[in-house]
Amino acid sequence: MGKRITSYTTLTPTATADTTNLVDSTYQIAYQGANTTQRWNIVEVYLGGQAGASSPSIMLLSFDSQVATGSLTADAAQTDTVSDGSAGTLTNALKVFNKAATNKPQRDVARHLANLSFNAFGGVVRLNWPLDQQFVGVGNTASFGEMSLSAFTGGTTGLMGCHIIYEPF
Amino acid sequence: MVDHRNSPGITDDFIHKASQVLPADTCLPVGMSAGRGLFEAPTVSCSHCQAMVIINPLRNRERGYCPGCDRYICDNCTELRRINGQCKTFRQLADEIVEAALKAESIKEI
Repeated sequence: MGKRITSYTTLTPTATADTTNLVDSTYQIAYQGANTTQRWNIVEVYLGGQAGASSPSIMLLSFDSQVATGSLTADAAQTDTVSDGSAGTLTNALKVFNKAATNKPQRDVARHLANLSFNAFGGVVRLNWPLDQQFVGVGNTASFGEMSLSAFTGGTTGLMGCHIIYEPF
Repeated sequence: MVDHRNSPGITDDFIHKASQVLPADTCLPVGMSAGRGLFEAPTVSCSHCQAMVIINPLRNRERGYCPGCDRYICDNCTELRRINGQCKTFRQLADEIVEAALKAESIKEI
């Protein structure tokens, strides 16, 4: 239905262990299917360091073993828009958020998708994939119905901006 | 692509520590200063679990491959395949999830 871009202007994410609640506004982006059959592809992930001092960060794109529930909302710093103004819109839009009212998302310990380790002091990491190797999310239940971009423990997270290009179906 | 040309980058020690707690084939390769300067490498998505595997040019060990789906697979799925001999791609799994959801919906309608 056309690619969309989720951007988060600037955030110092909080390093969080797997299977632990991702607290509101401490991670940049999470995606959850709008219904039990929705699919989406991740096309590109970009992280740009904005820190003023050395900050080796372990950022993970991962499936979540506990999906978020309740009202799912986003910080003002997060935007989600079509990459082409003439693209069609889906009846049920993918849920894009970084705040959850009831259950918080929890990163799945066994289903990390991409490891984006970099130094947020001037570092840049950009990943993209050919069409047949893009990550696919499906449905809205654990463990394949929700993905999140968040910081893993072990580093010293720093200020960073990011975007994810994705295509919902 | 990881660009640390304008950054102190990350040390091999940091990468090594990360690869102790995260699957090593998804981390930057150790021993080739991948955390310094500009590092570009091809990646493959594991056909079974979708994990992104960085193709390490220094790897000597055999790379995981599944003849069932004719694709590269990650080290974890290679071990699983050795144990249970199964080939189930993520695309098949996704289809099963969708079919199960559709079946559940149609039961409700009856």
